[in-house]
Amino acid sequence: MVLPPNVSEADFSAALGEFRSAVGADWVFSSDADVALYRDSYSIYWGEPEERVASAAVAPATVEEVQQVVRIANKYRIPLYPISTGRNLTYGGSAPTLRGSLVVDLKRMNRILAVDEKRHFALVEPGVSYFDLYNHIRERNLEVMLDVPDPGWGSPVGNSLDHGVGYTTAPFRDHFGSHCGMEVVTAEGEIIRTGTGAVPNSDNWQDFHYGAGPTIDGLFAQSNFGIVTKMGFWLMPMPEAYLTGTVTVPRYQDFDPLIHEVSYWEDLGLIGMPDYGSPIGGGFFAPPPAALAALMASGWPSIDALERFVGVEARPAWSVRLHFYGPEETVRANWQAAKRRFSGAIPGAAFQDGEFLRLPIPPEQEPTLPDKPRLGIPSLEVFAMVARNPSTANDPADGHADFFAMIPRKASAVWEAARVMFETYREMDTPAPYNPFSTPINYYSRCFIMAAVVPTWRDPARNSRSRELFARIMDRCAERGWGCYRTAPAFQDQLARTYSFNNNALLRFREKLKDSIDPNGILSPGRYGIWPASMRNTRA
Amino acid sequence: MVDRRSILKLGAAGVAGALVGMPLPVLGAARAGVSGTLFRAVFDGRFEEAVAFAGELRRRGVVTASAGPDLATLWYGDLQARLRRERAPIAGLTDRATLFCLEELARSVGMRVAFRIDHLIDDRGRVEHDPVGPAAILAAARTLPAESGFGREIAVLASRFDWRQRRDAAALKRTGPFSPENKTALVSWAIA
Repeated sequence: MVLPPNVSEADFSAALGEFRSAVGADWVFSSDADVALYRDSYSIYWGEPEERVASAAVAPATVEEVQQVVRIANKYRIPLYPISTGRNLTYGGSAPTLRGSLVVDLKRMNRILAVDEKRHFALVEPGVSYFDLYNHIRERNLEVMLDVPDPGWGSPVGNSLDHGVGYTTAPFRDHFGSHCGMEVVTAEGEIIRTGTGAVPNSDNWQDFHYGAGPTIDGLFAQSNFGIVTKMGFWLMPMPEAYLTGTVTVPRYQDFDPLIHEVSYWEDLGLIGMPDYGSPIGGGFFAPPPAALAALMASGWPSIDALERFVGVEARPAWSVRLHFYGPEETVRANWQAAKRRFSGAIPGAAFQDGEFLRLPIPPEQEPTLPDKPRLGIPSLEVFAMVARNPSTANDPADGHADFFAMIPRKASAVWEAARVMFETYREMDTPAPYNPFSTPINYYSRCFIMAAVVPTWRDPARNSRSRELFARIMDRCAERGWGCYRTAPAFQDQLARTYSFNNNALLRFREKLKDSIDPNGILSPGRYGIWPASMRNTRA
Repeated sequence: MVDRRSILKLGAAGVAGALVGMPLPVLGAARAGVSGTLFRAVFDGRFEEAVAFAGELRRRGVVTASAGPDLATLWYGDLQARLRRERAPIAGLTDRATLFCLEELARSVGMRVAFRIDHLIDDRGRVEHDPVGPAAILAAARTLPAESGFGREIAVLASRFDWRQRRDAAALKRTGPFSPENKTALVSWAIA
C-alpha cells in the first residue's frame, strides 16, 4: 500500500476506519487490487516511483457524506483527489496528481436532478455520464440536444471542470462555458451554491449564472479549491435539422482568407466546430505524400515553393467542412449564403454538399451515423477506430499524452506552429507528424489548437523519452507565447510555469487563495501547479 | 480533418423545472462476492476464433453478445444496468480496444479483470499466447494450440473458471487499446 505523504500507517488506518463509518465499509477501497483500478491507463510514469497512484479510494453517495470525508481528511491531513467518472484519459484519468492521495470517487452521486426542455438546461451530479444523461433525454423525448465529448464516457461535471470540449456550436461545445450554477463542498466542509443558487428558494439557478458580486465558479475548474457536487448546464434546443457542406480552396495562401471567412460564420454562432483539412497534405497522422516528402527533404519549404507545389499537384490546398444546425429552411439558406460569401472572398473556391439529417435522429438510425458526437450522441466508437495505430503501426503505444498549443486563428500562426512542432520532433529524432499542410483544431471557437500527441508506454525507458519530447514541445511553444489549455498531471507544474507574466503573479495569486481556502492543503495538492504551502517549496 | 477522433488514432415531455430526483439504479454491492455463473460472453464477430468461443459458450447456455463497432451499445444498453444491481462475471474474446474499454467501465461497478490471455497471430496463422492471472490460467494457456482452435478451448476455460478465488492486480491494465498492424492481436479475458 502507498501511504499519503507524511501520514503514518496507524493514522491512515484510523482514517480509513472513520471513512468506513462515514460512507459504509463497502465503499472504502484499500486493497492493492482495488486501488490498482484507479491507476491511469495512459500514465507516462507507468511502473515508476513517480507514477501517481492512490493510497485508497472512498465513494460517498451524498453531499453530506462528501462533507464528512473532507472533515476526516482535515483531521488526519490526508490529501483527497475527487473524480467523477475518472475517464479523462491523457489528462490523468482516475489517478491523483499527488502520489498517495485518497481518491474520492463520486460515481455513486449519479442523480439527474433536472432536465428542462423549455428553458433548456440540465442539473446533474458528478457521477452522471454523458450516456446516462443522453439516455434520460432520449427515453423521455425531451427536445434538447447535448454537446458531448468524444469518447462520451465521461461526465458533464468532470469534463467541464477539466475544460473539456465538444463539437456543436460555440456556446455549447465549451463545456465549462455553458455551465450555469454549481454546488461545492469546500475544503472546510461547507456547502456553497454559486449564481442564483445562493438565493434561498430560487427557482432559476440554471437560468442566470452570475448572481451578484464576484463570480467564483472558475475557481473550481482545473483546480483544487473545492469538490463540486452539483452542476447546471445550458442545453441546445433540439434543432430541426443538421446539414454539412465542404469548401475547398485552390492555393496555399488561400488559407488565411478561408480562416477569416470561417471565423465570420463561427463568431456569428451559425456553425458547429469547423473541420479544417488539406486534400493535398495527406492528413494529420498519415506520413506526407511522397512528392511532399521530397519537397521537405531539404528543409521546411518556402511559401513560394509550396504554392508551386500546389500548382503542380492540381488539387485544392485546403478544405473545411461546415456544420449547420437549425430549422431546415435556415440551414439550407445558410449553406447557400456561405457559398456566396466564400466565392466572393476566395477566387476558385469550390463546394460539395454533404449530409442533411432531420433531428432528432430516430434510435434505429443511430448505429449507421458516421459521426455521432456531431449530433450530440455519445459514443465509444473512437476506440474501435483506433485499435490499429497508424503512427506506430507495428509497435503500438499503450496510450498518449496530449499537448495543445493555443494559437491565433490565422494562417501564419498555423504554419509557424506546424514548423515548430516539426522541428522539435526532429530535434528528438522522432518522426514528426507535421508538414506545411497540417491543420488546426477549433474546439474553442476563438482560438486554434495545434495538437501534439506523444505516445505513452508500459516501458519506463520509452516513457522517459516521451516525457523529454513533451517537455520540450511545451517549452518551445511557450517561447513563442503559446499556452496550453490542459495537460496530464505529470506536466502541470511545467505548464503552470509557462503562465509566468510578472514573475508568476497568476500562480502566486492562486497559491494565496489555496492557503486561505484550504489551509491544510487536503484538496488535490499540485493540481495545475497549485501546491499547498506545506509542499510548495519541495514540490513545485 | 483534425478532431478528437483523429487525435486518438495516434496513440483515443418536459419536466419543466421540476427536480426529477430519480437516482439511477444503485451500484452493485462493492464487496459482495461475484456469483458463479457467467453472465455474458462477449465476442468480436470479425474473428473466427472469437466466433468459435461464443459458439461454445452459447452451447453451454451462456448468453453471448457481439462487441460491435460501438461498445457503448453493449455496456450502456445491456451490461451496466444489470451489473449495477448485481455484479456477475463476464468473459470475452475480442480485440484489445474492447477489453480496454470494458476494463475502464467495469471500475464503476467494482469489477476488474480476473485474467487475460493475449493472442498474437502472425500472417502464417501461428499464435503466441501471453497469459496473466491465476496459476490455473497460466497452466491452461500452456496447453492452448499454437494455431487455430484456441477460441473454443478458451470458452471451456472460462466456463470452468472459479470466480471466487482470490485475485491480485497482475492482470489489470496490461496494455492500452492499440494493436500492431503486422499481426492480429486478440485477447481472451474475464472480468469479475
